[in-house]
Amino acid sequence: MIKLKRFTIQPLHLWIGFLLLVLAAGFTAYGIVLVKGLSVTNLSDVVPWGLWITIDLSAIALSAGAFTLCAVVYLVGLKQYEPVARTATFIGLIGYTMAMFTLLLDIGRPDRFWHALVYWNTHSLLWEVSMCLTLYLCVLALETAPIIGRTEWMQTRFPWIANKMTTVHHFAPILAIFGLGLSMLHQSSLGATYGTLQARPIWYKPGLSFMFMFSAILGGPALTVLITKLSGRLTPSAKVDDSLLDKITLFIGWGLVAYMYYRFWDVFSVTYTYEPGRSESLGMLTSGPLAFNFLVGEMLLGALIPAILLLVPRFRKSWTAQVIALTLVVGGVVAFRWDVNMSGLLIILTYLPQEITAVYTTYFPSVIEILSGLGVVAYGALAITIGVRYLNIIDHQRVKEEMVEKPIVVAATD
Amino acid sequence: MAEKKTIQRRDFLKFLALGTVAAGGLRIVHRSSASEKGGSSPYKWVMVIDQDKCTGCGHCTLACRAHNDVSPDISWNRVLEAGKVGDRQVFLPRPCMHCEEAPCVHACMVGASVQRADGIVMMDYDKCIGCRYCEVACPYGARAFNWEAFEGPNPAVPEWGSPEVERRPRGVVEKCSFCYQRIDRGLKLGLKPGVDEDATPACVVACPMGARKFGDLNDPESEVSQLIKNNPYFRLREDLGTNPRVYYLPAREEGNA
Repeated sequence: MIKLKRFTIQPLHLWIGFLLLVLAAGFTAYGIVLVKGLSVTNLSDVVPWGLWITIDLSAIALSAGAFTLCAVVYLVGLKQYEPVARTATFIGLIGYTMAMFTLLLDIGRPDRFWHALVYWNTHSLLWEVSMCLTLYLCVLALETAPIIGRTEWMQTRFPWIANKMTTVHHFAPILAIFGLGLSMLHQSSLGATYGTLQARPIWYKPGLSFMFMFSAILGGPALTVLITKLSGRLTPSAKVDDSLLDKITLFIGWGLVAYMYYRFWDVFSVTYTYEPGRSESLGMLTSGPLAFNFLVGEMLLGALIPAILLLVPRFRKSWTAQVIALTLVVGGVVAFRWDVNMSGLLIILTYLPQEITAVYTTYFPSVIEILSGLGVVAYGALAITIGVRYLNIIDHQRVKEEMVEKPIVVAATD
Repeated sequence: MAEKKTIQRRDFLKFLALGTVAAGGLRIVHRSSASEKGGSSPYKWVMVIDQDKCTGCGHCTLACRAHNDVSPDISWNRVLEAGKVGDRQVFLPRPCMHCEEAPCVHACMVGASVQRADGIVMMDYDKCIGCRYCEVACPYGARAFNWEAFEGPNPAVPEWGSPEVERRPRGVVEKCSFCYQRIDRGLKLGLKPGVDEDATPACVVACPMGARKFGDLNDPESEVSQLIKNNPYFRLREDLGTNPRVYYLPAREEGNA
């Protein structure tokens, strides 16, 4: 089956080579951070969270395809999306490990990462988030187990383990329930992590939880479909049924319309009352240093244009337009996370009596921060590439057949 | 068909059992929730700062750095310029507010920020993982992260005092502790915090103008209780409902400085 072929350089090799280069640079930067500490960043006591937290939040949001599509398949019962959910699950697993790697980088004492699980402060939103992240990572690992178990390599080398891993597939509906619960908890809690802080008026509102959740439900499937569509064109390993994806992109398109409506009120309703710091933060989004990112990156490119591309029939038909739209949606989710984080942190509210005023500060990530962040992204891209190429994570043909025959096989063997 | 169902149920039970064991395991390692205030204390420590008397000399900051072995890059106790009354520059010294409803205590995911029964908001430097959520949550900017390790001699020592607590490692957040070590040790020796210098926070002792007072708000006869009772006072960002334990007596036009 496996034949030795004469080695010729294919685009895939160039792509993997490029990713390995970025990964090497990122790994070096990662090492420098671990050795030298966070003084190599441009973070400060005033802006303690920056690029890394954005990558972390984005990775989690863009992994939301896993729970969304699993819920659609196993809870709503739209079985035909099972192969897409399978792809999303694998992307989710990679996304959550990306988030873990970034968090490890971001905390001052990476050697104490396990404290988050051992010492509990149940009042803390971050406690809730870290518990959910850990448990959900386990769920994702279980959900991905059948994918690994079905590979030829596992089947021939470790048939017993491979068989066990494949059996996990039967718990998919239960895992989907756990996944949905855990995801709804932590996706919105990440918004509440910001939303419960009185010290930062632009954040202090319940809407952030909803916005984080909503944007994740759009961004997650968008990334899944984007990767699927690109892979379908780039490699014969991916067998894509475009008609299956069309419904999802239509959902994303209409979702974006609703999202724009909610984001409009989420942002602009804050001026109903003047509160020091809040209007200044809004000013930064509409005319200050974050304006381009918010107006152009997040709203125009991230929501409006992709909504048009995904909803107008003339554009919908075009593969290119869909891919561009999905890329923009993914970018929009990242821009939203950046805007939320920065709009709260770049304004410092003084606490002097009688003159509670907003003071502006700036932040731009250091080279080390950027390189290590890119390293984490390159790891994700590499892992997904390998998944697409060697683990058959995108196969809209094969899984359909397995769906029918697999239960009988298990019943016979046990 | 029936056989298949039995297998699935058994597998399902296995799955549930595994989940229960995992949850139970986490429960065992779980110690206690930090926001639940433990025990009770007869004391309620507060600080009163008289802006009329403060001249902004910064002795408090230096004494604090020496006694708590704080890096020169960090100020637990910052002195800010806070406008003018008449022609006179007014200052605002800002230690940790030791809020009754401390946002940092609620925020900290590992319970490294805890409130003692006597009201002091403490840092457990052995628990802190350095996520800096408390810094983001604190409305007073009272917290500082150790971006770098503080190595070598402390420039504030010995001129301004000698260290009484362990130096913090790189990667954790630190802040003013109301010099809990002086209070606790003093009480054991039968001293009265706020009255006896050895049992009083270093900044209060170091202030040459006597602008800082410290004591027990539960004791109606204490100096702090009397000052709060007989003078107009304010606290920082009272609108947030954090209920700070640092009270300020505002500077007045006909000040006695």
